[in-house]
Amino acid sequence: MSEPRAASPYLLELDGIEAGYGRAALVLRGLSVRVPPATIVCLVGPNGAGKSTVLKVASGLLAPRAGRVLVDGRDVTGHGPQQLLSVGVAHVLQGHSVFREMTVAENVLLGGYTLRDKAAVARRAEVVREIFPVVAERWTSLAGLLSGGQQKQVEFARSLMVEPRVVLLDEPSMGLDPKATGTVFAQVERMRAAGTAVLLVEQNARRALQTADIGCVLDLGRVHIEGPARELLADPQLGELYLGGRPAEPSGRPAGPGDRPADASGRPAEPPPASKA
Amino acid sequence: MPSAGLVFQSVLLGLLLGGLYALLAAGLTLYFGIMRVVMIAHSAFLILAAYLAWWAHRETGVDPLLTLVVTVPLFFLAGVALQRLLLSRLSPVTLTMMSVLLTFAIALVIEGLLGYAFSGTQRRIRLGYSSTSLELFGARIAVVKLIGFALAALSLLGLYLLLKHSRFGQALRATIQHREAARLLGIDTDRVAGYGFGLGLATAAVGGTALSLDSTIYPSLHWHWIGPLMAIIVVGGLGSVPGAAIAAMTLGMMQSLLQIELAATWAQTIFYLALFGTLAFRPQGFFGGRLAQRF
Repeated sequence: MSEPRAASPYLLELDGIEAGYGRAALVLRGLSVRVPPATIVCLVGPNGAGKSTVLKVASGLLAPRAGRVLVDGRDVTGHGPQQLLSVGVAHVLQGHSVFREMTVAENVLLGGYTLRDKAAVARRAEVVREIFPVVAERWTSLAGLLSGGQQKQVEFARSLMVEPRVVLLDEPSMGLDPKATGTVFAQVERMRAAGTAVLLVEQNARRALQTADIGCVLDLGRVHIEGPARELLADPQLGELYLGGRPAEPSGRPAGPGDRPADASGRPAEPPPASKA
Repeated sequence: MPSAGLVFQSVLLGLLLGGLYALLAAGLTLYFGIMRVVMIAHSAFLILAAYLAWWAHRETGVDPLLTLVVTVPLFFLAGVALQRLLLSRLSPVTLTMMSVLLTFAIALVIEGLLGYAFSGTQRRIRLGYSSTSLELFGARIAVVKLIGFALAALSLLGLYLLLKHSRFGQALRATIQHREAARLLGIDTDRVAGYGFGLGLATAAVGGTALSLDSTIYPSLHWHWIGPLMAIIVVGGLGSVPGAAIAAMTLGMMQSLLQIELAATWAQTIFYLALFGTLAFRPQGFFGGRLAQRF
């Protein structure tokens, strides 16, 4: 089935994506992101930059209007979530997306919905129960009764049932206390250690870049800066503009995390050629 | 004061009627759970099924129960078609409102067609066992009512097992609870929603057959059903099948008890009183709410 191609060094590639919702203006305007195998790529940027939309395009929830989605160099543009799942792309949504009124067990086993082999589902369930002890402990509880952090772990477990090769995580630390956030990021690192790539969207950009290998700064529907996460973290101007929390420089106005820079000080006025890492 | 025997008889009759209410309310609550639509035409399909049973009996003399073999699959397919061809095309923003108008229109069309085909005359099936009744601890219960209840109870049990234990049921409940997450697990949520609708309409087919056994039917009868059914699903908590079942049994029994002292029309007001009371004091319903085990 897989056509022999020059093996792509990237597991997941989004190339020149334009996408939006309904008749509203485009959210993504020529965005390109590449995810190598077993790597954590983190998207940061202000609210409304289109971070979640990138993930929706990558998982097939939203069909792009232009551009290509490639998995292993194979064009899967316009394929639905079912097909993208079958080539190894799993997506964990923002906020709480457990099936609240089903048990943890039902939630996790539904993660293997596309696996027809019952024995394989049972084997995978054992594996994720080991990775996520909370899931094993609360196996028979209604998922809606769990704390926010525990629900996130159920969602992770559910998405790992199909042994995905890349997991798309949308704001996994949203609404979690620092301890739960720590657990979540530790698990993201474990996914990488197990050979799974992660495309991560985080409002908590500093924390995310500390975990990630590659960082991409998004603004106005494009990747403006791409580079090793550590370098992005070290860049003071970037810190002020996108990562939030730094006191304002004498010359500039204070920039909050949700602020878009009004002038070109933080990014070129012209769309830059997507800088290669 | 009514005698204890009369009260007991009324309680039994109320429970038997409540079983039918419960099955039909389960269908309504499925529609609402799946796509937040208010399905006014549900009871019109109920009467349609009753007419089909009556008509088949008149034409061929076949027992009305046998019409289930045809009406259940037929209504299932009609439900799938209704969801896929009409309801799924409504704009999500105004879906609930527009679904009221659309299904109201469907109810009128069904009522009109029934009147056209069979006239407005009241119809009733006469069977060999129509007037047989059983003696149960001093209460007299018509056999047809017991059959109707058994049919409703078995169907409801089947629905419960299907939703709870089958692969399709898991997918349907996941779709109801978080549609986008369900899609991301590879569930074809559009197809599942269509089948869910078909299941809902199949409850109307079963209910209609049960109704035809012991009721006089006429084309506009469905208006007497939709109000109580809507009240039941609100009292039970929208989207909750067990909630609808409990509310149906309770309200059916209360209606039956009130009928001892009041005329039938007044007894039905219990549904509206319960509806107002629920909306005023507990809008999430009595058995729904966040943590009810919904389906």
